[in-house]
Amino acid sequence: MTVQERIREDHAAPAGAFLDVRDMVVEYPLAGGAKVHAVSGISFQVAKGETLGLVGESGCGKSSAARAVLQLPRPTSGAVRLGEEELTHLRGAALQRARRRFQMIFQDPIASLNPRRRIRDIVAAPLEIVGEGDRAARYKRVAEMLDLVGLNADQAMERRPHEFSGGQCQRISIARALILRPDLLVCDEPVSALDVSVQAQILNLLEDLKHRFGLTLLFISHDLAVVKHVSDRVAVMYLGMMCETADAQSIYRRPAHPYTRTLLSAAPEPDPGRKPAPLDMLAGELPSPVNPPSGCRFRTRCPMAQARCAAEVPQMRRLAPGHAVACHFPLQ
Amino acid sequence: MSEPLLTVENQRTAFATGRGLVRAVDGVSFTLERGRTLGVVGESGSGKSVLSRSIMRLLPPNARSSGEVRLGGRDLTAMSEKALRALRGPEISIVFQDPMTSLNPVMTIGAQIGEVLTRHLGMSRKAAKARSVELLASVGLPQPDVRVDQHPHQLSGGMRQRVAIAIAIACEPALLIADEPTTALDVTVQAEILDLLARQQAERNMAMILITHDMGVVAGRCDDVAVMYAGRIVEQASTEDLFRDTRMPYTSALLASIPRLDDPPHRKLEAIAGRPPDLIHPPAGCAFSPRCRYADDLCRSQPPALEDAGRGHRFACWRPMTMEAAE
Ligand SMILES: Nc1ncnc2c1ncn2[C@@H]1O[C@H](COP(=O)(O)OP(=O)(O)OP(=O)(O)O)[C@@H](O)[C@H]1O
Ligand code: SF4
Ligand code: SF4
Ligand SMILES: [Mg+2]
Repeated sequence: MTVQERIREDHAAPAGAFLDVRDMVVEYPLAGGAKVHAVSGISFQVAKGETLGLVGESGCGKSSAARAVLQLPRPTSGAVRLGEEELTHLRGAALQRARRRFQMIFQDPIASLNPRRRIRDIVAAPLEIVGEGDRAARYKRVAEMLDLVGLNADQAMERRPHEFSGGQCQRISIARALILRPDLLVCDEPVSALDVSVQAQILNLLEDLKHRFGLTLLFISHDLAVVKHVSDRVAVMYLGMMCETADAQSIYRRPAHPYTRTLLSAAPEPDPGRKPAPLDMLAGELPSPVNPPSGCRFRTRCPMAQARCAAEVPQMRRLAPGHAVACHFPLQ
Repeated sequence: MSEPLLTVENQRTAFATGRGLVRAVDGVSFTLERGRTLGVVGESGSGKSVLSRSIMRLLPPNARSSGEVRLGGRDLTAMSEKALRALRGPEISIVFQDPMTSLNPVMTIGAQIGEVLTRHLGMSRKAAKARSVELLASVGLPQPDVRVDQHPHQLSGGMRQRVAIAIAIACEPALLIADEPTTALDVTVQAEILDLLARQQAERNMAMILITHDMGVVAGRCDDVAVMYAGRIVEQASTEDLFRDTRMPYTSALLASIPRLDDPPHRKLEAIAGRPPDLIHPPAGCAFSPRCRYADDLCRSQPPALEDAGRGHRFACWRPMTMEAAE
């Protein structure tokens, strides 16, 4: 087996991948020839009906990765296969057609809705773009969808976004995202702007809709507890690289990457019995993605770093079935 | 017994708006001793920031404020703006969620800390500069001797918050109010900043009010916690009691709605239906009654008072929960 083949096998999602991302790179050119290395060759797979949680802190490239999956814009290099279709090869009308199959919801629910339009037209817009049904048929679909996301359609249809709370606006965004019955829903920090009581409503709603529509979810968040709640598997990113992927239980019980452990220990737990432990990370700042560290990108903050970490980029390798880590000296 | 460091007595703060009077803080009373940390938690709009600005006496012109705020025996509500300015820094100071609220974008960091030191402590410019570098080092800013000559935009968000903290503690205040100091920051940076605040507090025996919407943040870091809902404190207790012997249904519902790291994946969360009340037309009785599963006619018609049930555990509820009900 070649190294590449072994890596592929180790990455394989349990039940065959529906979304298969290979060696994806996203770079943003800067003036003077430099570039931002936002995503530097990540691979991950998501099985049909599965939720993959993508976690990491600001600047780790999780939103760039999500947008590149959706070809918004296309990644600098790498492959993104959804079902049988290689999305990076699609152009023009073919890409437009494929777009029906994947939708996205964003962090700021209010800003992502056009303030001047009525809710019924906001939610109907995707149907209109693909030219589906007449007006009456479209509004009927909208009303059904609003009911499904827990809004009173009779009251909501004619109103405008400012008349709704943040949580309600996120329900409207979800209705709009699901109206074309996509296969894949990408959620980029969908509850980060919401209060906890409302956050719980939206998380429960996403779980319900996932089952009802057989959705595959890519769920991005900086909040580990939120990610654990909705995910079957979890992938941790740091500065454009994948650190660790595992099923949602194992990654929390037995983190193998030092950065995963740091993230877990920093997460504030609502339990007065657990005093916060000192942070398992060297003091300093997040390195710039324009000029990332050689070798392992976490090495400037990693308490376990050794000479090899600067010389050699750690490759993803399998620790246990479904559990892979990119570290020369994994924990345990 | 000597007087507590801070006494807030029936503070009410309302804003005149086009839609009517917004009762943002609606009768808040509490005390805080030297060296202690009080966590104030609540959801967006519950009045946490207006309360902190009411204590600081930093209110906008459309605010109507009543009540009493005593700090070290002095009534801040009766003081002139000039007298208050002399107090802000050496006696009481505040750190905001967005550090740029208190930083000046066109001044170097050293000049900003130096200004506070020369104004309040009468230091010479040279001494102030040296002290600024020390302060920046004490808040964990890397390369303090270089950073001192930089401007805020040259720093990351976490570093700016460290600078804002350095300014806030420069004159060793007796009370520091930290209003969501880490909400905009990454979890690892949050942990560092909260550690930093705890260290500074212990070294200086400073009292702190830590305002946050995150129950996780208060759990590990506060002596006592007050929960706010619709402009009032609805429950307050030692941190241990608040989490283990929760009496007020809103606190309990809030705790149940939080996703926890040790939950199994896909556990259904206990969401609180509905949303917080409109502060212009709050419900007649208990403000939580439209969302409370225990609400009865009394709850809907009369607001419950905040009463002390012993050991400093206060709650405002007609039908407080017992341990069994919370199970
Ligand atoms: N200057 C003002 N004029 C009118 N209303 C105001 C003003 N400042 C605050 N309010 C209102 O007072 C209420 C309480 O606001 P406050 O900012 O204290 O909430 P908070 O608990 O700090 O919320 P968050 O968690 O979002 O910071 C809100 O309804 C808010 O809209
Ligand atoms: S490869 Fe080295 S620096 Fe990177 S996480 Fe592992 S031990 Fe730390
Ligand atoms: S007073 Fe009544 S409505 Fe309010 S929290 Fe208690 S039981 Fe619920
Ligand atoms: Mg606030």
